[in-house]
Amino acid sequence: MKPVLLIAVNFAREQRWPILTLLLWVLLLAFLGLVTDIHRQREDLLFVFKQDAVYVLAFSVFFGGSAIYNERRSRRILGVLSKAVSRQQYLSGLVLGVTIACAVYCFTLGLTGSWTLGGAGFPISRVWFLMVCLVAACMLAGTVALMFSTFLNPFFAAGATAMVLGVPALASQIFGARWGYVIPVWELGATVLNSSFNSPGRASWVPVLLAGAETLAFWLLSARIFAHVDIAVAVE
Amino acid sequence: MRFALEFEQVTKEYRSLFSKRRLRALDDFSLTVETGEIFCFLGPNGAGKSTAIHLAMGFMRPTSGGGRLLGENFGKASVRRRVGFLAESVALYHRRAERLVRFYGALNGIGRTPLQNRAREVLEIVGLQDHANRNAGKFSRGMLQRVGLAQAMVNDPELLILDEPTSALDPLARVMVRELLIAARNAGKTIFLSSHLLSEVELVCDRVAILHRGKIARLDKTGNLLQAGAQTEIVARAVDTEHFDGAVARNGFISFCVPAQTQRATVEKIWSLGGEVVSVNPVRRSLEEIFLEVTAEPKTAGSKGIQ
Repeated sequence: MKPVLLIAVNFAREQRWPILTLLLWVLLLAFLGLVTDIHRQREDLLFVFKQDAVYVLAFSVFFGGSAIYNERRSRRILGVLSKAVSRQQYLSGLVLGVTIACAVYCFTLGLTGSWTLGGAGFPISRVWFLMVCLVAACMLAGTVALMFSTFLNPFFAAGATAMVLGVPALASQIFGARWGYVIPVWELGATVLNSSFNSPGRASWVPVLLAGAETLAFWLLSARIFAHVDIAVAVE
Repeated sequence: MRFALEFEQVTKEYRSLFSKRRLRALDDFSLTVETGEIFCFLGPNGAGKSTAIHLAMGFMRPTSGGGRLLGENFGKASVRRRVGFLAESVALYHRRAERLVRFYGALNGIGRTPLQNRAREVLEIVGLQDHANRNAGKFSRGMLQRVGLAQAMVNDPELLILDEPTSALDPLARVMVRELLIAARNAGKTIFLSSHLLSEVELVCDRVAILHRGKIARLDKTGNLLQAGAQTEIVARAVDTEHFDGAVARNGFISFCVPAQTQRATVEKIWSLGGEVVSVNPVRRSLEEIFLEVTAEPKTAGSKGIQ
């Protein structure tokens, strides 16, 4: 477990600049929200909140899709995998790292959302539930992206991830809402995007639990694929 | 355990995803590295040295064949706890040197307190004790290579696998690495290294393998390799050059080289011709000469890639 944690923390540390930039953006928007008339501008605040929530989903795909590629290209992966670290542990570290990076963002978004939206009358418990949904969605999206990144470059990995996450979303629009639960990133995202002051919505933990289980399944699949991939790259 | 590293009929082909073209980097390659020796791997660029090292470390899988690292099949993570590895063109995270070494040590499961002491110790061994708190991202290539060596040694490994360990080092640092390798061997460790610095190899390695086109072209003890095909330079006087092939006359002396095994007969011939032998000196071949001889390509040779 220790190597997994070390790799995860190291990954989050390596992403500190994009994370910090995102956090500053969230804090800036929250500050602007607080200096306005919260009650009059509450719909705008909710819109900004939802917009920030979408960013982190996109970033989770970016983090997951580029993680292995960047490590291979820089050859740093050789230093890590030359130690007593299995490839499965390495992938676990990356999944956890992506989750930590997104969770830090979601925590900040939840905190600022509690100040701004909470002040405008949105239930604070609901804000934190939405953040849990968002972290679960990011964890799953990041893991799917990571799986593709074991054998594709980041551009194709992101494209393939978008397809895998998008097909159930499309199916749910055509064939019914149940299809949204196949890979519930869309469902979880929709939970956040459909929230409103008038109807904050009912907290359903089913997609969250499904996302957790599917993260595990995609992680196992990634590990199986990654075990057969040559990771050494020629010196440029 | 007698062998620290074993390759058994390993073939490795690189294939691209969308093309049928294959490149054979190792071809039915077999090799054993004995415990407690410094074994050196030589070869021109693309000969398959790094491929062999990466296979041993489990970074890639052989197309056929296999091997063992410290008695365990290639690719087993737990055995790497007893191995130290330095990659060619070392790449490290941008952290303070001491933290970096501790990070790699912790990945090998070393406890916090012993790791702190060990990190300082290895940084001192590679001469970076004064830079332990500097960010490795700001280091020169030579300093990075030293940090790379430190992280390879942090777990006090039984087997050190070093890919071009002295390529970016200045002469002083090379001497340091040479002494370090000899000290490690004297402590019973095994060292498997690849290098292009043939003079360094001559000085430290017990055995040498020259790899060419994915196969071992020459493998022997360093001393034997240097002795093989050895010649003797003979300087004589009062004898004509016409009696000896390649003899050159200068200032009343003649000098020429003969194979070491014909040295005695040549000296007797000089005496029988009434000449006087002035000196008989062995001419030692350098590893560079042997390397160039082994890896010499006919100009018409095709690519090593196979279709």
